[in-house]
Amino acid sequence: MAHAPDLAERLGERLSRLPLVKPRAVEALPIHIDRRRIYVLPTGFGLFLGLMLGAMVLGGLNYNNNPALMLAFVTAAVAHNSLVQAHLALSGLRLVALHAEPVFAGQAMLVRAAFEATGLRHRPGLELSAGGVQAAFDLMPGERAEAVLALPTTRRGWLEPGRLRLSTIRPLGLARAWSWLLPRTRLLVYPLPEAGEVALPAQGGDSTSRRTRQHGEQPHHLREYRPGDARKQIAWKPSARSSRLLVREYEASAPRELELAWEALHGLAHETRIRRMARWVIDAERLGHRYRMHLPSAVIGPGRGPEHRHACLRALALMPDA
Amino acid sequence: MPERLPKPLRNWCMAAAAACLLPLLLQVPPALALALAAIAAVGYGFDKRWPGVLRLALLLGVAGYVLVTFGFNIGRDVGTALLAALLAVKPGETHGRRDAQSLLGFSLFAPFAAFLQDQGPLVMALSLLALGLLLVALSMLAEYRPGAPAPRFETSRARSMGLAVLVALPLALAGFWLFPRLATPLWGMPENALGRGGLDERMTPDQWIDMFASDAPAARVRFPGATPARQDLYWRAQVLWDFDGRSWTRERGLAGSEPASDPVLPTPSNVIDYELSLEPTDQRYLLVLDRPLEAPEGARLLADDSVVANAPVSRLLKYTGRSVAGPRTDLTLDPATRQRATALPAGLNPQTVALGQQWSAESGGSDVAVVRRALEWIGAEFSYSLTVPPTGLHGVDEFLFDTRVGFCQHYSSAFATLMRAAGIPSRVVIGYAGGYRNPYADYWVVRRMDAHAWNEVWLEGRGWTRVDPTAAVAPVRILDTIEDRQRAEALLPEAFTPVRDLADWARRSWNELVLSFDADRQARLFRPLGIDQASAGQLGLAFAIGAGAVMLLTLWYLMRGQPASRDPLVAAWLEFAKRLRRAGLGKAPSEPPLAYGRRLSEALPGQSETLVSLSRRYAADRYAPDGLDGEARRQLIADLKAFRPARKPR
Repeated sequence: MAHAPDLAERLGERLSRLPLVKPRAVEALPIHIDRRRIYVLPTGFGLFLGLMLGAMVLGGLNYNNNPALMLAFVTAAVAHNSLVQAHLALSGLRLVALHAEPVFAGQAMLVRAAFEATGLRHRPGLELSAGGVQAAFDLMPGERAEAVLALPTTRRGWLEPGRLRLSTIRPLGLARAWSWLLPRTRLLVYPLPEAGEVALPAQGGDSTSRRTRQHGEQPHHLREYRPGDARKQIAWKPSARSSRLLVREYEASAPRELELAWEALHGLAHETRIRRMARWVIDAERLGHRYRMHLPSAVIGPGRGPEHRHACLRALALMPDA
Repeated sequence: MPERLPKPLRNWCMAAAAACLLPLLLQVPPALALALAAIAAVGYGFDKRWPGVLRLALLLGVAGYVLVTFGFNIGRDVGTALLAALLAVKPGETHGRRDAQSLLGFSLFAPFAAFLQDQGPLVMALSLLALGLLLVALSMLAEYRPGAPAPRFETSRARSMGLAVLVALPLALAGFWLFPRLATPLWGMPENALGRGGLDERMTPDQWIDMFASDAPAARVRFPGATPARQDLYWRAQVLWDFDGRSWTRERGLAGSEPASDPVLPTPSNVIDYELSLEPTDQRYLLVLDRPLEAPEGARLLADDSVVANAPVSRLLKYTGRSVAGPRTDLTLDPATRQRATALPAGLNPQTVALGQQWSAESGGSDVAVVRRALEWIGAEFSYSLTVPPTGLHGVDEFLFDTRVGFCQHYSSAFATLMRAAGIPSRVVIGYAGGYRNPYADYWVVRRMDAHAWNEVWLEGRGWTRVDPTAAVAPVRILDTIEDRQRAEALLPEAFTPVRDLADWARRSWNELVLSFDADRQARLFRPLGIDQASAGQLGLAFAIGAGAVMLLTLWYLMRGQPASRDPLVAAWLEFAKRLRRAGLGKAPSEPPLAYGRRLSEALPGQSETLVSLSRRYAADRYAPDGLDGEARRQLIADLKAFRPARKPR
């Protein structure tokens, strides 16, 4: 969700380019957030309130107005303590895990960041943000909390989540404490499969005899939804009954063993080739075919199932650019 | 479409702003306060943002009204009223988060502005309440995220904000006591457009009725040494020299020199020391016991024995004074002063003038005889009353020869006129007479109802001598106690007297402890450590050390964290896990209770049954839909608390 950055965020962003600001290099998990890498600055509102308090203290001193001074000092002390509390809310946190299911380019990748902390402090109102997206979470003592960031993806390949910012403005919204995290993690983004009507390549030579119908396989077999399945294949009524998305599999196209060959797509643009191959993998998997993928660098398979599918899509995702 | 705060959140912000505004509204005229409260309420009730034109028109209208109310004078009270007006208009434009933040920020300034007018404990209490509400609103605002459910108010939030204030108190007190104070202000206090509660530089008979009805204190006095008799408690405020037929006034330029005369040598028997705290008057006179020997610091003693401060008294002022009982022997009177002290407006009060001249001729040159004759006449034929018919052009004639009833203003004005007609130099002194001794603490309170006017005449060989014509007619009226007066007038049932005395004592303690702390007292703070007058540098160092120590203490407290949960079962479970951690069997953060229980039972085979049962019951309460019932929960809490690992695991 978008929000207007406050003063501390804008300043923090600028300051982060200074050579002294930590961390300077990517770090291995778990990342321990100690006090040396936590920064605190007043928010715009905090600065406004601080100016008010300064005026009150100055006026109170000038007129020797003791109640006004007392009020100003109490408020200032509460504000000061809130800065300390914001700092303490981050201090001692650990980022213990960062992972995400691969998605196709263009989809939002749900990056899960798991945090832990020792000690008895409540740590409510933590925010994790990266690249303009934010996630809020609370961390109770002795528990583990997960923040889910919906990172946008644009292209296939490794996605580096880059610099994450863990911050909080609690308890009073007067100051923002933050710490930069540079986890050494790469997240995989599959190529976006080609859309529209795409025919699978012709059947391979020796597959007919191998493939026999398995026991229990019905003409209208239902299986779980996988990303890439066409919407019209979804079996809505059984899905509603089982509270999972189920997809109807048509047995009209009998399982075959397919050769998905890079060379067969000669003449198409590089990225289009990759997208076509990705589509083939998805379609072949959905239809229950065994398939083998021929890439310039490697031959994968033959095989079938989620792991094989992942291996193929991963290889496609990591194809060098043309 | 600008973001809009959810209703409960907006309500809390409004409540906080209203609480901040309240002490300020108490300082503005009631009609204006009502109007502003109504505007704020309408703005709060309105669901839509008011158009800019309307807001501007409203603001200009209110500002115009304020200026008219205060007669187009610009003063501190006008500023206060304008700030209240700004805040009252603000709810009408408060809908988003930023609006709410600016509303709350400006609201914080309202109690401060109120303190410029009134530093009493009531305003302080209201301001602390306002601060608490403000913090609650701030914390809710910090928690608010668009799209997420609105933060709710729970008692735990109020508790944690109260705790935040308590935790902040040591640091605040360090700042209050040790932050170096200014010995001399950088700029002066803006004056109020309308005066408050003091004695004017002008006395017009019939004008003091309001004061006589007010039992608000004008000053509190403590006598460290001997206490003078009550009939000697005449508190001088101003000396009025000039009479225009209706009002007595003083003209600043004419009485600005130091006393020219030699005062009587003070002897230990007739010197009186006192400590006086003067309630703010917004005027420059200081109240001193008749007759002052010297001026307190920051003030001047004038030739007519009145004391004038260098700046208007706009806050509680505490000073020590020295006075001498009995008349002063200033035996010379220069011709200019004599002329001024015998001047009368031409053509007015012919009867009085004639009577004065006649008595002067009959006295054979003895001024004392004339004074005595006048007092006897007044004592025999006049009476005291606060209800007096209005008088016309020859006010003194009407009073002396027609109505013959009045109060101190009439008596002092007529007496001075009569004396001047007889050629005796005389002047009017206004101030307070008497006082009331608080039976619970050793101090006197002088109330506004003790306001009094008397005369001084210059007698050959005796100098300026106090004469109180009102005492000749009604000595009781001047020197009686408030107790007597209230019994007579039934202002307040007698049963409440102790309550009032104690309340006044509390107010005085507040004045002594809080209000009168200043640079001077701060400098003497380290006297017990052998530092007589701490310098600004020493104070700065003390502040740095004190604040640093308090901050460390606060940091330690904050780092400790709170008990993990208000839920006693969760707290007991965490305690249980903590005890086992000491035995080397800590719970991993992500470990579910049942798995933890299994691991424990393997590590401590002797207690395995108990451990499995404990973890199972805990899991049942935490994760089963209904949880445990009350009795089972209590039992589990007790069992968790009672559990001790039998021995160190292998």
